[in-house]
Amino acid sequence: MKFLTFSEDNQLLAQMITFLRSRGEVDAATSSDRDMPIEYGAGVVYALRGNAQYDSISAALKNLFESSGYDAVVIASTVLGREVAGHLSVGIGSDVAPELSSLEFKDGKAITKRWGYGGKTVIEETWNARVFTLLPGITDAEKNGSESTLKDIQLGDSRVEIISEEPKNLGGGNLESAKIIVSVGRGLGKKEGIEVAQKLADAVGGEIAGSRPVCLDYQWLSEDRQVGLSGKKVKPKVYIALGISGQIQHIAGMRGSKIVIAINKDKSAPIFEESDYGIVGDLYQVAPKLTEKLAA
Amino acid sequence: MVDIIVLVKQMHDLEQIKPDPSTGEPMLEKSPFKMETISENAVEAAVQLKEKYGGKVTALLFGNSDAGQIMKKAYAMGCDDGYVITEYTGNNHFYTSQVLAEKIKTIKHDLILLGNQSADSVTGMLAGRLSAILGEPVLGNAVSIEIEGEDAKIKRVLEKNNYYVKTHLPAIISVTQEINEPRLPPVMRIMQAGRKPINSEKTTVQEIKNFTVVSNKAPISERKKLIFEDVDKGIEEVVKVIKEEMR
Repeated sequence: MKFLTFSEDNQLLAQMITFLRSRGEVDAATSSDRDMPIEYGAGVVYALRGNAQYDSISAALKNLFESSGYDAVVIASTVLGREVAGHLSVGIGSDVAPELSSLEFKDGKAITKRWGYGGKTVIEETWNARVFTLLPGITDAEKNGSESTLKDIQLGDSRVEIISEEPKNLGGGNLESAKIIVSVGRGLGKKEGIEVAQKLADAVGGEIAGSRPVCLDYQWLSEDRQVGLSGKKVKPKVYIALGISGQIQHIAGMRGSKIVIAINKDKSAPIFEESDYGIVGDLYQVAPKLTEKLAA
Repeated sequence: MVDIIVLVKQMHDLEQIKPDPSTGEPMLEKSPFKMETISENAVEAAVQLKEKYGGKVTALLFGNSDAGQIMKKAYAMGCDDGYVITEYTGNNHFYTSQVLAEKIKTIKHDLILLGNQSADSVTGMLAGRLSAILGEPVLGNAVSIEIEGEDAKIKRVLEKNNYYVKTHLPAIISVTQEINEPRLPPVMRIMQAGRKPINSEKTTVQEIKNFTVVSNKAPISERKKLIFEDVDKGIEEVVKVIKEEMR
């Protein structure tokens, strides 16, 4: 197999090169020039220069695909990556196997896994497709002692024009590698509650995270701290869920945790079905007591 | 004036899907169909644009026999017209994009609105595919939309930065679930919507399926589920567990 892999995020691209290099030859394309992933085993890393929008990127990847004999294009599942994948798939007359957490090839078919019904099920499929989107975190990026050749490609025009850019205030931290995560949900009730959760996280040396409403609707936490189907997929040793009801989209992001501890007022909250230990109680009473005993 | 086609998806009510205890497969027949949640945001966004700029909103739904109820909800929320393409057989973005594109080509429009990633299959493939099939540009992942003359302008939310971007109409805009709070239509509107005819038709596009499902099962939960209603006892146990893992 000969793969072309793309992401606008070079951390994700390094993960995908690492993942694909044991499955065949890999070249990579990126529209970012920060931390070029040239030490992970890609033969060539193409630097896409210009107005990097879904249409201009798709056209460049189509050119590479048709001129260089790739068997498959593998794209990191981000907002831009999904747009590129959909557009490119029409251009090269293929289907897209999307949102994959597992990808293997056998007898010319792709064998895949992805979430079904919003995270309720895992769907195993075989695909006749040349385009694939992989979930972030498909594997840890590992250098392999090689050095890729860098080549510049000038992108063509895009029909999308950038008017202005607005940097986000991201919290940093690294949820994917955190050993303990204290995660908060709508049940927190008010922004000031974050402090209660943060104290608990500090006491256990953990990271703070939240559900989609907490991070995106109310913005009590920064967007990069969202755990769930549309956010980070985490696998800490301990996941402490404070006031999280346990909607399936959230569960899909934390199912890999070793131990799940839930604190919720509502005895019938679905989170208890996905927990090892549960305390039915007010998080504003339970969390400070936990903090006190754990800090001691 | 801006004429809008809004794409509406039907999905099983996810909260009601339970796995069959013996096979682990989802018992779909017990979970009714409803309007997919981000489609609701797309309908709301379309109706708000109509209220601001004037024009007409046409809902388009590729559905099955339950689709009439979902289209009536779209009417009640403010869609002026609607088409149901029947004989939907399930998630297949390759085929769905072809079916929708065939119908879209027959409807005069300035904008196509849709959800960015449906809540059930989450593929996020339709915007890009429709863009390539129809030759219309995409403004993706919008949390706000404005029309300025011949241009559409959105605030586009990406993982690391947000952008204001624009393009010429006609265009496709995908929306996030944060763009708005879908309205609950008043009873009068719901009753009026119930009397409004639904145009249903079949597609002429031949179904192509490029995938085969090997298995589709709920992951087995091996959680201990030790739930404490005695808070102090629960705290004692949980502290022990966390201390053990912190070592």
